[in-house]
Amino acid sequence: MSDDHLVCVPETTWVPSEKLKFINRYVVERKDTCISCGLCETLCPYGVHRRMEGHVKILPPYHRLCIGPSCASNDFYCVSHCPTSSLSVRNSETFSALGDVRWTTDMILATWQMAETGESLPLDHPGNVGSSGGGFDRLNFKRGPVPDTIDYSEFDMVIDLDRRGGERRRISIPVYGGGMSYGSVSLHTMVARAKACRAWGTYTCTGEGGYPKELIPYRENVVTQIATGLFGVREETIKRAPMVEFKYAQGAKPGLGGHLLGDKNTPLVAKMREAVPNTSLFSPFPFHSVYSVEDHKKHLDWIASINPKALLSVKVSTPNDVEMVAIGSYYAGAHIVHLDGGYGGTGAAPEIAKKNIAMPIEYAIPKVHRFLSDEGVRENVTLIASGGIRTALDVAKAIALGADGVVIGTAELVALGCVRCGNCESGRGCPRGIASTDPVLYLQLDTDWGAQRIINLLSAWRKQWCHLLASLGMSGISELRGRTDLLRYVGGKEVFS
Amino acid sequence: MPRFVVQRAANCINCGKCERACVYGAHKREPTDPREMAEPNSNLCKNCFRCVVDCPQRALSIKVNEEYRALGKDLWTPQRITTIWNEAESGAIPVLGAGYRGDFAGPGFDAMWTDMSEIVRPTRDGIHGRESISTNVDIGRKPPLLSFDGKGKLLTTMGVMIDLPVPFLLDVSRLNVTSNILRGMAAAVRDLGTLLVLRADSINYLDGTIPAGMMVPVITNVRDMDRISGEVRLVEVEHSSAWRADVQGLRDRRPGSLVGVRVRSSTELEFELDDLAREVDVLHVLFDENGRDGDGTYVRDSLRAAHRHLVSSGLRDQITILSSGGLAAAEMVPKSIICGADAVTLETALLVALGCRACSTCNEDCPSDLEGSPGDYVQHRVTNLCSSWRDQILEMLGAMGIRDVRRLRGETGRAIFQEDAHRDAFQGIEGGERIE
Repeated sequence: MSDDHLVCVPETTWVPSEKLKFINRYVVERKDTCISCGLCETLCPYGVHRRMEGHVKILPPYHRLCIGPSCASNDFYCVSHCPTSSLSVRNSETFSALGDVRWTTDMILATWQMAETGESLPLDHPGNVGSSGGGFDRLNFKRGPVPDTIDYSEFDMVIDLDRRGGERRRISIPVYGGGMSYGSVSLHTMVARAKACRAWGTYTCTGEGGYPKELIPYRENVVTQIATGLFGVREETIKRAPMVEFKYAQGAKPGLGGHLLGDKNTPLVAKMREAVPNTSLFSPFPFHSVYSVEDHKKHLDWIASINPKALLSVKVSTPNDVEMVAIGSYYAGAHIVHLDGGYGGTGAAPEIAKKNIAMPIEYAIPKVHRFLSDEGVRENVTLIASGGIRTALDVAKAIALGADGVVIGTAELVALGCVRCGNCESGRGCPRGIASTDPVLYLQLDTDWGAQRIINLLSAWRKQWCHLLASLGMSGISELRGRTDLLRYVGGKEVFS
Repeated sequence: MPRFVVQRAANCINCGKCERACVYGAHKREPTDPREMAEPNSNLCKNCFRCVVDCPQRALSIKVNEEYRALGKDLWTPQRITTIWNEAESGAIPVLGAGYRGDFAGPGFDAMWTDMSEIVRPTRDGIHGRESISTNVDIGRKPPLLSFDGKGKLLTTMGVMIDLPVPFLLDVSRLNVTSNILRGMAAAVRDLGTLLVLRADSINYLDGTIPAGMMVPVITNVRDMDRISGEVRLVEVEHSSAWRADVQGLRDRRPGSLVGVRVRSSTELEFELDDLAREVDVLHVLFDENGRDGDGTYVRDSLRAAHRHLVSSGLRDQITILSSGGLAAAEMVPKSIICGADAVTLETALLVALGCRACSTCNEDCPSDLEGSPGDYVQHRVTNLCSSWRDQILEMLGAMGIRDVRRLRGETGRAIFQEDAHRDAFQGIEGGERIE
């Protein structure tokens, strides 16, 4: 078998985060009554209790490694052996403050762990599904057991993005990075993503906020976006890009255009966008030059004439008539129809829009897939889904529902250490420096470290897809497309007669 | 009330790293003794965990505030209550980063999404005021047709029509409020240009804050009307077996007023709908504060059924339907209108705007002490809430490409109902014919 299907599979290395290791499931407490006898150090096989060479005092407990109060059944349980009763183990309160029903605490920690090690977690790990009570969180695969030994090089995760018969444009994994603009995220975050995507032979996207010169070395892997505000769009940025993405709408705020709050519009950001600093920047929705599919075609033709080699992607949200929008985009010349569902997104959005406007991606994918198939054009267009795709299993479920591949955003940010506190939009932006343009904050993130975290996460995901395909008796991710027969909806009461 | 509580354990060494770490200023040194760190200010905490991870002693922890978790009941979730508090405080649209973080769907209005429009209709401009999106609604009886004489002169006599700038009225008739709160609400009504629905016996407490035309008295006996002076534009009577006589009595006493009947939604209502629609100008449908009727049906389904019924009897366009109860978030206003209401009335949300926790056990030890709320505080909080909700309605209309909230009424085609979307998408998937 040739290695053609591997294309790029980068090495994983261990990249721990000093910043994240203190957010843990359990807390081990040592009281002042401790006499530093060191018994706990000899007892604990996990390395929670340690003493630095030559020091008298035991170091503060390393909570991450503790297995929790259930350890009480073990002979080596530190709490019951401590001669001065100085130790206690309990569930962490901080742990409960992390996460929500879509990105559960388990899911965030699992993502961090995969980003740190590059090793996959079992398919039945609780971090693979959320608890939002619908959509992906209620879909299961009808699969067999995962074989004990798996040769990861035997599986084919490559997807082809150009199905119109042009030059082959393949990406090694069915995932590429979504548009996050300069201004909404930091330059370091953008460069880290670009490095990771180059290593994986896939793409990342500039979003609507200009094309920083620091990304030019990665130009082969950087998609540029043309959105309704046309911020930072120039002829040279279009000529540079292997793919140009037209953003009609985005799932988190469908029909509302982009939105960068004034605080984050620093002079550098404003320069890139050719706008006035410290003002709120709205991308006015919709394209004021597009009122029909014919106008839309004119737009695509315009890009094709500037950069004939560019793939054309059309990013749309998920209204009632999403299938008509998709077919219109195809006939206008798009290579890729990119559906962005409502529950994802990384940027600032009115809370009312996130939950209430346009349907979740889980409902839109099968609708569009079926319609394009019925129209007989499904094999000529690539269908990409995004908006609420959090884990490797979400990717697989989206593909089983009918997508060719997916676009991710939040998962990459979580790999970089995002805790999903949701304060990225205002003030100086993200206090952890991921989505901030404040130099004091964004320097916290090292690009090489960040790139390796994303590489690791995608490596772990690839392994999880291999496990899944093996348990389904498949060898290529594209075999899974549209296989809704392999899915099971786990529900409750009967609604339809 | 903080959502998260930051705690500093005793092993803090006062190194001050948390002060540098926190961009929100939750950690500060003790002003009187700078050698010590002050207690963390949890109100400023936004749960970013930076102080927790930067603390060399691991002395800091964040947990969800138990008091926050205990807020509200049923439909009135802690999230919704604190959202209303913020809206009432700032008057702004709540904006947050990092995507949606709630349940996939839920009962009632949570199993419904509104449509959006990809390319046509540039009404985002309307959200910024460069183009008009109207949120005006008309309250009153509309004639089924207009007749003109040979010269084009209108022959049909037009009844009273109340034009409201927002599709909601304030309704305190089912709330327990003090006279201060009542006057504050009335002042907010004056700011907003809408109407205040109140029990007839509360009118005296208003001290003339608003003219009679902005009040909607709710009466139980038509003779109560004799004690109300001034030109009332709309009067409502509670539904009873004698509602026809009540309506006639009101029409005799106040020929220039619109007459409405307040009726609790139920499955029996359908048998009376046509009769009511022929006789009254305004049909005010009441639900409980969780948005359900006596049979447990949600507003969403109940209003749709009533609307459809009246459309098929050809009467829907002639009357105005108001809906009350279970409006706990801004999106529920346009969703009610899509399901068939012309306008809604805000009730519990008004109290929540003042700091009420919607625990719905209003006994003597209310934790929010609403009774002491001064009138101008009430006025501004309520005006803020309503402004914020109006702006959010604009966002939804803008996304849909609709320029007039009146066009939204009964437009179920511009909404996505979960049962339909679920069936379309998941048919053929094992178990997919079922929903949660």
